[in-house]
Amino acid sequence: MFLTVTEEDGRASLALSGDWNLARIGELDAALSAARLPAAPLTLDGSQLQTLDTSAALTLLLRVAAAGASIGGCVNLKPAHMRIIETVEAQAGVRPAVAPRAWGIVAGIGYAAVAFARLALAHLDFAGRAAAGVAQLVRHPGRWRWKETIAQLQHVCIEAIPVVALVSALIGTVLAYLFGLQAEKYGASIFVVDAVAIGSARELAPLLVAVIVAGRSGAAFTAQLGTMRLTEEIDALSTLGLSPLQVLVLPRVLALVASLPLLVFVGDVAAMTGAMLASGPLLGISPAVFIERLHSQLALRHVFIGLAKGAVFGATIALIGTRAGMTVGRDARSIGIATTSTVVRCIVAVIVLDAFFAVWLQQVRL
Amino acid sequence: MNAVEADSIVTRINGRTLHDGVSFSVPRGKIVALIGASGVGKSVLMRELIGLARPASGTVRVLGTDVWSAPEDELNVLRRRFGMMFQDGALFSSLTVAQNVATPLRERGGIPPQLIEPLVQLRIAFAGLPPEAAVRLPSELSGGMRKRAAVARALALEPELLFLDEPTSGLDPVTARGFDKRVRFLSDELGLTVFLVTHDLDTLLGIVDRAIVLAGGKVVAEGTVDELRRHDDPWLRSYFNPHGT
Repeated sequence: MFLTVTEEDGRASLALSGDWNLARIGELDAALSAARLPAAPLTLDGSQLQTLDTSAALTLLLRVAAAGASIGGCVNLKPAHMRIIETVEAQAGVRPAVAPRAWGIVAGIGYAAVAFARLALAHLDFAGRAAAGVAQLVRHPGRWRWKETIAQLQHVCIEAIPVVALVSALIGTVLAYLFGLQAEKYGASIFVVDAVAIGSARELAPLLVAVIVAGRSGAAFTAQLGTMRLTEEIDALSTLGLSPLQVLVLPRVLALVASLPLLVFVGDVAAMTGAMLASGPLLGISPAVFIERLHSQLALRHVFIGLAKGAVFGATIALIGTRAGMTVGRDARSIGIATTSTVVRCIVAVIVLDAFFAVWLQQVRL
Repeated sequence: MNAVEADSIVTRINGRTLHDGVSFSVPRGKIVALIGASGVGKSVLMRELIGLARPASGTVRVLGTDVWSAPEDELNVLRRRFGMMFQDGALFSSLTVAQNVATPLRERGGIPPQLIEPLVQLRIAFAGLPPEAAVRLPSELSGGMRKRAAVARALALEPELLFLDEPTSGLDPVTARGFDKRVRFLSDELGLTVFLVTHDLDTLLGIVDRAIVLAGGKVVAEGTVDELRRHDDPWLRSYFNPHGT
């Protein structure tokens, strides 16, 4: 339908007909491969050819070359079509063919291990720079970015209070309920207060708050700084003689270090309030008894350990989040990837640190 | 027959009239430039031609289709018949150049998979990019190469008409002239109609067949570059004679 091959006296000719264009490229390719082109110079007859575009011309040339044939001459070919064939012939024929390298499993593990080591080193390096930046701030308090820090405090602390309070209160209620069911069997309902108070002050509130903040603020830091890097705003800051570390990173780090203990305190109060409200109807522990028991059993060191852990978690989340933002690749997709990995890394780092604290504090008997 | 016909286009942005009855046509097979001072609404006009921004009134016919009254199906057919190069390329940043060019081909459907790679390479060669650029990401390309990659993507579906928004802005003169030559080559060899918005006097003098001058919301002059040189519009006079000699 698109072509006819004729052979006369050892001279092969290929007559093209109809519309040779991208819209019919599938049919053209099939027709060409079905045509059994002779492996000899072909004379191209274009008298019936209506249209020819570069895609069709390329398909023709590729199929002719694949058959071992060549174009020996042309008859009745319109000048415009001739030109297209010549142009395509001149422009095509370059084959870089860069195939992605396939890795073996051992090499894959090796690369992943090296990548992990590099990542850990990069975080350590960034933490070091941030610490040096803080040391500089101590020496030159005038460089302290108050406004930026306060704005960040507003975002990461004040605006997080409702969600922290709600989640902690619910978890406190759930804990009181769970412990209550067990403790009641032994007639030891009152120990629910000890469990909820110590558990939430020391472990649960700091972890819960850190996870919430990692999702809220860690991700936001990465997205904000990543976008600024994408639009070259961070480069602009450096060019203006401002240190991105001082202007962007430290206010966020310090804001989170200051906010996390405050949020942990909110979490403590909310969790205990939730537990107190649940134990009344559930276990018959009145609020007055609950508070009395809380007072006698909850040593202040548990609360302070929780708050201190919060500060460490805050620094960790802020450093991971800002570092990911400052080092994001210069395309839209990598901001998404960096934001996701910030949240995952923050949560993993917080839990690893928490486990470390649990072991260490046990050793020093706190 | 004209590739583009714009008839009495009126555009209002935030109550301000940007175009007040703009009419012009772009003949097939020619390179036509739209010129005018900054802020006169050249890019907005281009967006109206390709169906991205709706004019307050007026009609636009591109390749015989009325852009602002055609049903969506017909518009999608039309969109495959023209290519657009955005000012900074607007390449998909997470895809390599070859993947960028392959995207319209793959989305179109009906193209044998083994043909996609050679077709992509041909487009890349047409745009004047070295073949090794195909595996790079847009962020690894220079500004001039990004524009060429954008042209390669615009050429993917064998367009009859190519829209270029500021093709040479931000390029050094040597690269810019190389880009101009490519545009002329595409127009001459593939019979493409090219409509471009430009500020570049050298592009205008070098490769453009006709120019349309937009000022004060109207077309103040239209013709070959030589005709425009003799025009007495004050903006045109200072445009062609920027140093006031």
